[in-house]
Amino acid sequence: MTITIALPSKGRMKDDAMAVFSRAGFSIVQTGNDRSYRGRVEGRDDIEIAFLSASEIARELGAGAVDFGVTGEDLVRESLPDADRATAFEARLGFGHASVVVAVPEIWLDVTTMADLGDVAADFRARHGRRLAIATKYHRLTRTFFSKGHGIQLYRIVESLGATEGAPASGAADIIVDITSTGSTLRANHLRILSDGVMLESEACLVRARKPEHDRNPVVAEIVAKVRAVLPAA
Amino acid sequence: MTAVQLPDFADELVAAMAARGTNRAEIPVIQPAEPFLDMAGEDLRRRIYLTENENGDSLCLRPEFTIPVCLGHIAGQVGTPRRYAYLGQVFRQRREGGNEFFQAGIEDLGETDTAAADARAIADAAGLLGQLLPGTDLSITIGDQALFEAVVAGLGLPAGWQKRLIHAFGDDAALARMIESLASAQSSTVEESELGELIAAGNIAALADHIATVMEETGYSSHASRSPEEIASRLVEKTELEKTRLSDKAFAALKTFLSLDAPLSEAVATLDGFARDAGLATGAALELFAARVERIGASGADLSTMRWRAAFGRPLDYYTGLVFEIGADGAVLAGGGRYDRMMTLLGATEEIPAVGFSLWIDRIETARNAKETGR
Repeated sequence: MTITIALPSKGRMKDDAMAVFSRAGFSIVQTGNDRSYRGRVEGRDDIEIAFLSASEIARELGAGAVDFGVTGEDLVRESLPDADRATAFEARLGFGHASVVVAVPEIWLDVTTMADLGDVAADFRARHGRRLAIATKYHRLTRTFFSKGHGIQLYRIVESLGATEGAPASGAADIIVDITSTGSTLRANHLRILSDGVMLESEACLVRARKPEHDRNPVVAEIVAKVRAVLPAA
Repeated sequence: MTAVQLPDFADELVAAMAARGTNRAEIPVIQPAEPFLDMAGEDLRRRIYLTENENGDSLCLRPEFTIPVCLGHIAGQVGTPRRYAYLGQVFRQRREGGNEFFQAGIEDLGETDTAAADARAIADAAGLLGQLLPGTDLSITIGDQALFEAVVAGLGLPAGWQKRLIHAFGDDAALARMIESLASAQSSTVEESELGELIAAGNIAALADHIATVMEETGYSSHASRSPEEIASRLVEKTELEKTRLSDKAFAALKTFLSLDAPLSEAVATLDGFARDAGLATGAALELFAARVERIGASGADLSTMRWRAAFGRPLDYYTGLVFEIGADGAVLAGGGRYDRMMTLLGATEEIPAVGFSLWIDRIETARNAKETGR
């Protein structure tokens, strides 16, 4: 069988992912021109490369349509209901670092922890006639973190597909759950991360779709071993 | 296993509920999703079947009956007290069992004799189950959130702590964590600054002014969310809480209370003994509890076969008093409780006391089949 590896189709993630594979001895060439969505590994007919958007990669891994993918842990855990059962995180690649965090308006001086937020959420309906509103694109991660991790259920998610950090100032939501690498966008928008509000420390990972036929496949084992070998020891 | 056919005992059940003086509620299968999400929280989203209409309004397949029955009552502007019965399919994504299954139940709206209405809900649920499963040993468990609230208030805990504890009631793990954290020393975060002085002095007005100024400077629209006064007063309250911790006596009393578990026939004496030992005045809540037990006894039920567990509750903010469950052979067949806060949350202009229960028809059917094959 041919092993398919899905790589990000553009940006820093694409360049960094190609570089890791190249160090591991898999020299990737894009078929046709550099806008093409197909690629191959020089000298290897048994490996195919698919260039996809980062969130598509997570979905395709979940569906088992590709064997490997390089994408952010946040996207895999957000896209798949039971990420650890459907996929295996084979290697953390050391780039694309970012955290998914709970951030509140800086001026909420009384809210520094999730427990504080729980108090505010419990009272919100009585005080404001509506539930606490959270702007985010991370529905699944938010629900898991809030209900399972902190027993907070009384809130509503406001769908946000861009500029989430502007939602509290504009009144579209009270707080946000968003991804940040340096926190500078949050600070610029007068938002503060709760002291225990880091939901996930994400980075780019080599993720494998769990499939029974991978068990004795030498190519699968080779890819994992060679990529791991070129990563700095964790 | 998906039940799309009414069980063979449906007619009998409908007749039995009608005989108990109820009005049959007809509830459409497709419902606006908003009230369910608003009441139960965002977590419900992954357990219900959502769709949209052309305008983009969120709709869902009826996940339960209580909320639509209440909304129908409010919209119909009919008088109270009024009791509704229902039987129909509900749709939920479940780990076990089918995703579409039947539920039946009775909702009792507007009865001001709380003890009587509570006792009748339990008697109706047990009576209907007894009729459908003759000869089956039913185990009835009763809890009462109002008792816990009274204990928490009686211990003289700060208001902020009372709220946290009551909010966690019904979720045993969360409640235990909460009590532990209140009993351990808190780290104080008061800053050595002008603001710190205002907080220490409890000067809420000056704090709120400061907060309002910062909000204006940073372009934060304070009208849409928490006000400067709300933030300031909670900041002062929180700082005071951080300086104290749960006393050993209060800690022990909470632990003892939550471990209470007695036959209903001994529950009032157990509670009396606890209140005396802990030096607590539980007043009205205990009186209501005792009145309810008396009414349940008067309905002919054997109180020694029912259990009261102090920690039994549901962590949803519209449940206010009684909760109960009826099971057999480890399966929960009926569940119910008092939800006095729901009607106003759903838009009723006056407070309407409410109590109700639902029957898990699929589990009742399984129990009936097991009996038949066991014969």
